[in-house]
Amino acid sequence: MSRVGVVGIGHTKFGNLSQYDLGDVMAYAATDALKDAGFLERRKEIDQVIVGNMASGLFCHQSAVASSVISKMDMEPVPAELVENGPASGASAIKIGYMAVASGMADIVLVIGGEVMRKVTGWTGTEYVATMLHPEAEYDMGLTLPGFGGMFTRMYMEKYGLTERDLALLAVKNHANGAKNKYAHIQAECTIEAIADGPEANVVNTYVAEPLRMYSTCPVSDGAAALLLVNMDSPKAKLFSKKPVRIAGIASATDTHCVHNRKDPLKLEAVRIAAEKAYAMAGLSPKDISFAELHDAFSILELAISEEVGFFERGKSFLAVRKGETAIDGRLPINTSGGLKSKGHPVGATGTSQAVELVRQLRGEAEQGRQVADPKYGMAVNFGGFGNNVVAMIFAKD
Amino acid sequence: MIDFSMYDFKEPKIKAYKCEKCGTVYYPAPMICKECHSRRDPVTDKHWETFDLEGPCELLAWTRLWNLPEGYNRKFLLFGIVQFENGLRASGRLEVEKPATGMRLVATVEESDERPGKPVHVFVFKQD
Repeated sequence: MSRVGVVGIGHTKFGNLSQYDLGDVMAYAATDALKDAGFLERRKEIDQVIVGNMASGLFCHQSAVASSVISKMDMEPVPAELVENGPASGASAIKIGYMAVASGMADIVLVIGGEVMRKVTGWTGTEYVATMLHPEAEYDMGLTLPGFGGMFTRMYMEKYGLTERDLALLAVKNHANGAKNKYAHIQAECTIEAIADGPEANVVNTYVAEPLRMYSTCPVSDGAAALLLVNMDSPKAKLFSKKPVRIAGIASATDTHCVHNRKDPLKLEAVRIAAEKAYAMAGLSPKDISFAELHDAFSILELAISEEVGFFERGKSFLAVRKGETAIDGRLPINTSGGLKSKGHPVGATGTSQAVELVRQLRGEAEQGRQVADPKYGMAVNFGGFGNNVVAMIFAKD
Repeated sequence: MIDFSMYDFKEPKIKAYKCEKCGTVYYPAPMICKECHSRRDPVTDKHWETFDLEGPCELLAWTRLWNLPEGYNRKFLLFGIVQFENGLRASGRLEVEKPATGMRLVATVEESDERPGKPVHVFVFKQD
């Protein structure tokens, strides 16, 4: 297998981009990635474009977005296909791009993840996102993703002693990082007094799906992020202005579609298996990781994922958060970008956005105040469904 | 002879499935038995038994959901995951005043027409 590296990254600001066309949003991030690589003028030499998107047909009443992006970027006749894996569509698109390059079928692949969700109202958006649940056994019941987030949080609290204040500490940490990230949806810090300890906390930080509150739930966002992948063992690797950041490991795994059919609903088996495969591929272990981007659509997931990937013992991660171990200046910074909580979660873009953050940190290009000191390996976990289709990625600075 | 039975009132039910070959039970319906690999034909259900999933169960997890999706004109709904005595589990709505993990409930089935599309059958878990 050839080594695969990232030589270009692009990212729109996340937020409300509902006045824009989805293809334009994706093309904006993609042209940023091409400019970053110094390859904009030679874009027709790209062997393959892979687009990650979850639900453009629902949110934007638009299908075949890969063709739309190609035309907007004047890239015909470059081949382009769409990859869909719920909120893990972005990382799945990177995985397919990796496979194309590593196999020798392509040398240069452009991966774009994007979603415009805010063309519809919040309650319609919640309805559309819920279509990824089991059609009869979950969706028909009226359940939603925050509903499962709430039940998972309660099970974790009752088993391990996590408190609502612990979840608020995660929001404070991630907003501190997101406030400094130029791409974040919510570029504002929040205080523990405002969302947990103060007299108005119950009003500021209302329940969404008990015991999950608003500051433990990601916003609904629009945006896109893109990466240019290259075969590092090909002479074409020399065509780019930036030194590649190597994809050391990338793997995915699946779990039961119905959450209730998991033997232990608190175990995220797909996360554990995807991470173990990615570590094996990279020849690394959890202690080698310098920082991580973990899919905190609900704050509880940052904790549960950090345990499944081996950073902490089961049921102990929130104790590390209390000690500041996962803060930007801690032993193992987690969600340096602000995470989904502060940076936002345009579902099809999140995996590519996490990967862009890994590259920015490994290149040393993150903003002042949220740059990890001399990172060697970054890990990202992109969580599809409620943990039923998960992708883990490890990027390396060689 | 005209069959008028289609106009009869039918109590809402939710079906669980049993593989006739090895006896493994499922909810919702699988396509392949995980134990003996028998395939279920979704048209005929040949070699598979069906039975109504209802009755006593235990609450494993619950939430009060405040941001309901399109169609629900209510402030909130309670949801839970339960385990039946035969080991099967299900997700559904909860109608209990003070929910608590581990409490004994009884699973009933009602018709709901709140979400877009045709009316559907939903579990409603109630106090035993």
